[in-house]
Amino acid sequence: MTVVALEGIRKVYKSGALEFEALKGISLEIRQGEMVALMGPSGSGKTTLMQIIGLLDRPTQGTYHLAGQDVTTLSENQRAEVRNQEIGFVFQAFHLLPRLNVLENVEVPMIYAGVPAEERRQRAMEVLQKVGLGDKWRNLPSQLSGGQKQRVAVARALSMRPSILLADEPTGNLDSKTAAEVMRLFQELNDEGTCVIVVTHEHDIADYCGRIVRIRDGQIEADGPNPGRKRAVGGLA
Amino acid sequence: MSAPAVLKTPKKVRSRLAGISPWLVFQVAWRAILGNPLRSVLTTLGVIIGVAAVVALTMVGRGSTANITRTLQSLGTNLLTIGSAAGPRGGGFGLVRFGGPQTVTLADAEAIRLEFEGRIVGIAPTLQGNQQIKVGAANMNATVIGTWPDYASVRNAQPAQGSFFSEADLQARRRVAVIGYGIAQDLFGGQDPIGQTLRIAGLSFTVVGVLPDKGDSGFASPNYQVMVPLSTYLQRLARSSTGEPRVNAIYIQGPDKDSLPQLQEALTEFMAARRKMTDPSQYDFSVQNQADALASVNQVTQTMTLFLGGVAGISLLVGGIGIMNIMLVSVTERTREIGIRKALGAKPRDILTQFLVESVVLSVGGGILGIFLGLALAGSVGQFLRITPIFDPFSVVLAFVFSVAVGVFFGYYPAARAARLDPVESLRYE
Ligand SMILES: Nc1ncnc2c1ncn2[C@@H]1O[C@H](COP(=O)(O)OP(=O)(O)OP(=O)(O)O)[C@@H](O)[C@H]1O
Ligand SMILES: [Mg+2]
Repeated sequence: MTVVALEGIRKVYKSGALEFEALKGISLEIRQGEMVALMGPSGSGKTTLMQIIGLLDRPTQGTYHLAGQDVTTLSENQRAEVRNQEIGFVFQAFHLLPRLNVLENVEVPMIYAGVPAEERRQRAMEVLQKVGLGDKWRNLPSQLSGGQKQRVAVARALSMRPSILLADEPTGNLDSKTAAEVMRLFQELNDEGTCVIVVTHEHDIADYCGRIVRIRDGQIEADGPNPGRKRAVGGLA
Repeated sequence: MSAPAVLKTPKKVRSRLAGISPWLVFQVAWRAILGNPLRSVLTTLGVIIGVAAVVALTMVGRGSTANITRTLQSLGTNLLTIGSAAGPRGGGFGLVRFGGPQTVTLADAEAIRLEFEGRIVGIAPTLQGNQQIKVGAANMNATVIGTWPDYASVRNAQPAQGSFFSEADLQARRRVAVIGYGIAQDLFGGQDPIGQTLRIAGLSFTVVGVLPDKGDSGFASPNYQVMVPLSTYLQRLARSSTGEPRVNAIYIQGPDKDSLPQLQEALTEFMAARRKMTDPSQYDFSVQNQADALASVNQVTQTMTLFLGGVAGISLLVGGIGIMNIMLVSVTERTREIGIRKALGAKPRDILTQFLVESVVLSVGGGILGIFLGLALAGSVGQFLRITPIFDPFSVVLAFVFSVAVGVFFGYYPAARAARLDPVESLRYE
């Protein structure tokens, strides 16, 4: 089943009289159960593409079908619901809410989904255990290491059991060992059936994925399976 | 809702039935406020001060109005007062004018007593002055009032001990005196003053009555007055003057409240006729109704209420602008948080509610602090002015309602701005 279907996606940024075409007609299909690496030089449009896939931004032109349904015409509120229900975001800068503790951070998407308090707490603890942070639930983000922060972010992205996990350079701020841990986590989720899309500059990271898409100057340069796919080894620290 | 249906596998729990609990929204707001306590308090200072001022001033205002009304009423009921008024400058605000030329005479009082016999309950002209009074070695200054026996009922001055002097005392110009409670306490100590001798300006008077405690109404307290027959006063105590004896005022008690205006008019006509005056602007006397004085107190109260309303309005406006300002700052500071929440599924309405609740919690918190500060302030100002402040639940409710309104009104624009923020730009915000 096709989860993401992009057709002729263009994105033009306008600032005053200046126009910049960040995406110049991208067509891309991602099927259920795939784990895709999105690679390309800086400024090539990777983040822009992720934001469109994640319904944070709208394309200037082109169509986007998410699980067969046209989502380009959805209202602001409907897009918020789709983000909440179907998409999990992991950012390079973690983007945890600094005043909330680990558990509360993980609960945020479930709050907007209206999950009752008891169930929310229970599910948040479950996903925290899954990322190996069950014992840190009281900590504030400032009391965590970079790798731990990113694992909390992953737990938060998972809490609503999304169909797609979008990670924009999730290992950019991590050392190679913690990066491997996060990628191992992604592989596990992928094995459970979640679609994972990872933006990265590093071949090491891309190698965890089954398919690599390269873009340059807003266009797809190459797209194919990754024959040398790595399996992460070892447990979580 | 139109989330892609295919993606909805049974394992997922998607209920928005419960919605976001108000308690949770409140908690988020409360934590944001506590995150910066000093700033929050400074922000709400405008609301705190405004609400405190209104609550305190209303309470003290009501206390003092009640005080004045009580005092006026304790001075006699259904009371009309004839006093001197110097021609065109006449009229005036108080019940009686002292100083200035006295134009009302004892003869006026006697004429009224004859003419209005049966239509009035009592009449008592008064002439008063400060005199030194002495009992043994103890002495003090007191107001000595020369008057008629009707004074007891007309001015609500029935002795608690002994009795008021009589018509016979007046006719015989006896040296008898009725003294206020304070004088009895201060000059006679614990002893019973009835039958004792009191010296007024060196002349000995026999005490025949003691008034009950009238409370300390400060200036001109009835507790420090001495009443003697007017005839005695004129003969013994008044500065000698030629011609018709003049009095400070004539107090007249009407039968009931409703007949007062009519009686007031009749007395004015009678007084004018005696003087052969036709132009009211030239009258050298005035006839005042106690109700007029009460009305003017109410007038003052109303003016003060309006003024307080103005103070409240301005301070709440200033307070509201302060809240709006800090909420705008807060929205800017938390741009990234807003972006994150939107990425995680917050709808514009969720963000709007969050910031709106925060500003309402701020202003209501300020309002509540203001109410308590106002109560404390009313207590201490009341103590200072020797007024018992009267708690006014209405002003407290009003202050509360207004602070909610201020929070909603001034919080709406910043909250709407937060709700409209573009998620992509907010996430990129440094
Ligand atoms: N809001 C914007 N206004 C104008 N231009 C923008 C805006 N956002 C991105 N761009 C431009 O679009 C291009 C693509 O940006 P994008 O962030 O998608 O690149 P990227 O591939 O993610 O780069 P990097 O690897 O450095 O993160 C860049 O040239 C950038 O300058
Ligand atoms: Mg990028």
